Amino acid sequence: MKQHLLALVAAVGLVVGGATAQAADTVKIGLMAPLTGSWASEGQGMKKIVELLAEQQNAKGGVLGKKIVVVTEDDGGDPRTASLAAQRLTTQGVVAVVGTYGSSVTEASQAIYDEVKLPQIANGSTAIRLTEKGFKHFFRTAPRDDEQGRMAAQTIGKLGFKKVAILHDNTSYAKGLADEAHALLKSQGAEVVFFDALTPGERDYTAILTKLKGANPDVVLFTGYYPEAGLLLRQKKDMNWQVPFLGGDATNNVDLVKIAGKEAAEGFYFLSPPQPQDLDTPDAATFLADYQKKYNELPPSIWAVLAGDGFRVMVTGIAGAKSTDGDKIAGYLHKDLKNYPGLSGPISFDAKGDREGEVYRVYKVDAEGGFVLQKL
Amino acid sequence: MEEFLQQLTNGLAVGGIYALIALGYTMVYGVLKLINFAHGDLFTYGAYLGLTLLTSLALTDRLGFALGMLVLVLMVMGLVAVLGAILERAAYRPLRESPRLSAVVSALGASIFLQNALMLLYGARFQVYPNILPATTLNLFGLYLPLMRVLIVLASVLMMAALYLFIQKTRIGAAIRAAAIDQGAARLMGIDVNRVILLVFLMGPALGGTAGLMVGLYYGQINFTMGWVYGMKAFTAAILGGIGNIPGAMVGGLLLGVIEALGAAYISIAWKDAIAFLVLILILIVRPTGLLGERVADKI
Repeated sequence: MKQHLLALVAAVGLVVGGATAQAADTVKIGLMAPLTGSWASEGQGMKKIVELLAEQQNAKGGVLGKKIVVVTEDDGGDPRTASLAAQRLTTQGVVAVVGTYGSSVTEASQAIYDEVKLPQIANGSTAIRLTEKGFKHFFRTAPRDDEQGRMAAQTIGKLGFKKVAILHDNTSYAKGLADEAHALLKSQGAEVVFFDALTPGERDYTAILTKLKGANPDVVLFTGYYPEAGLLLRQKKDMNWQVPFLGGDATNNVDLVKIAGKEAAEGFYFLSPPQPQDLDTPDAATFLADYQKKYNELPPSIWAVLAGDGFRVMVTGIAGAKSTDGDKIAGYLHKDLKNYPGLSGPISFDAKGDREGEVYRVYKVDAEGGFVLQKL
Repeated sequence: MEEFLQQLTNGLAVGGIYALIALGYTMVYGVLKLINFAHGDLFTYGAYLGLTLLTSLALTDRLGFALGMLVLVLMVMGLVAVLGAILERAAYRPLRESPRLSAVVSALGASIFLQNALMLLYGARFQVYPNILPATTLNLFGLYLPLMRVLIVLASVLMMAALYLFIQKTRIGAAIRAAAIDQGAARLMGIDVNRVILLVFLMGPALGGTAGLMVGLYYGQINFTMGWVYGMKAFTAAILGGIGNIPGAMVGGLLLGVIEALGAAYISIAWKDAIAFLVLILILIVRPTGLLGERVADKI
């Protein structure tokens, strides 16, 4: 067994191009997160959560009798930076990687990890095609867009809206979700009166809102991210336009209300896996208390918590496979991990590495700027 | 027609901001033939300084709205101007005699430094201005015109006009123009070129910082990377109008804003940047020096 392990270490060493000899008394787990760039608040939340969980796991004896070391690389929320970050992680002797947030960013790193058989578990990437490429070492704790697309179409139907405008931002996540919802809405008989994309990162969206208003929709489905959603809501209110907005899960961030202002944000619907504070698993309550104690704030969003789930799943995978071999960990996660009690609920994976089971809920922003779970 | 006019005003409000930032690019280029890539970040600093001063000093509560705003604008202008001067001293003056490429690399480095310093100081999250502006919306013949948008356009045009008169009518302005044409000759005429350059690095950032403050006040949301998009657009506007030319930057900025808004309205929202840059390319093909740029022998 020991020889076997040595051979493995040697093999990994060869694969990664003669990286430094690995210290045998630690298990390194990589974290790839957007620590800078416009999603930096998510990334820093991910880092805080994973570091907290690693600390707790080490206090319980680590994994395989060794200490866990978290190696963090910044992907900047940008595909080009992500591929560099992925290459750096593969040469640092990590045995598994947690992350990352944006779908296009994750996509840029998938092949790099898969080539060296590193199990990767994404936390915020919901684009469908990520798990349709046959990567055997790729998993995600996040649900898929088609599930969210179904939920969006269903919610619009339940709320009784007939004329729908769809706005995305051309990122692979937002466009995927918009396309999915578009097809489903048409098949359920709703009229899609507008379908276009805005450019994220700008401040002034009045040109788009003026055009949207001209299409006269009953509801606007915006599938992009919270910074733009906040500005849209704020500028929509300045225009005295009363149309309701429904957002995808990337609008689920407390900063949305800060950006839009409470008045403008009131009545905004969005789809999301449950909020950190709405998590009802027994582990979640202790985790949230620990997090608050250490960092004196709540996690920024569920996506950061899903990175925590990803980390715990990987640790369980390593312990369950009794090995740091990528194939063995991936095999364990595919076949043997059933209903693992994650912070966000039970976790199992199908053959593609997707998480099984329904995760989405509908939320509405109240007059105080709080996110209230809706029963539809 | 109504929608057209609406989009036209939307475009002018955006373009006014572009134009104010573009002035900083064009003035520095005019005198130093240097693209100051850190200029977009000085714009961001204006927005952040404005936020800090606004929330910590409570100027509008103490001095009343109008006077408080005026003091706030002047303080932001002054502080960002000082930052601009420090930038010139630290990042550009030591490289004055080096090849031009070194200065450009130094500019990019300064931009990265400024941006990340801001992130470390304020954190990566979006910062939000308190909503203190009156939300008056004028309704002109069914046209929706928030008062603040009108004021943004007016304020930018006023500042640009003041700058233009300063450059054209004063002795210092003449010195700046002389240094822009030929630094060596200007020096022989007794002009202190270093002071002219310092002045340019005070005025450009002051205007850019004011633009940042206006964006913060009106749009409410700022973050440390916002200077990149605005800087890019303003740089484009400066080229569109003819880089190195002050009225050109104003025209280029307003025009770019309007092209974007109309492109979004009548062609495609997703393609609006592509349309704006296509127009830029077409204009440069017809007039390589930009709309108002003159063909100067030593211009590259």
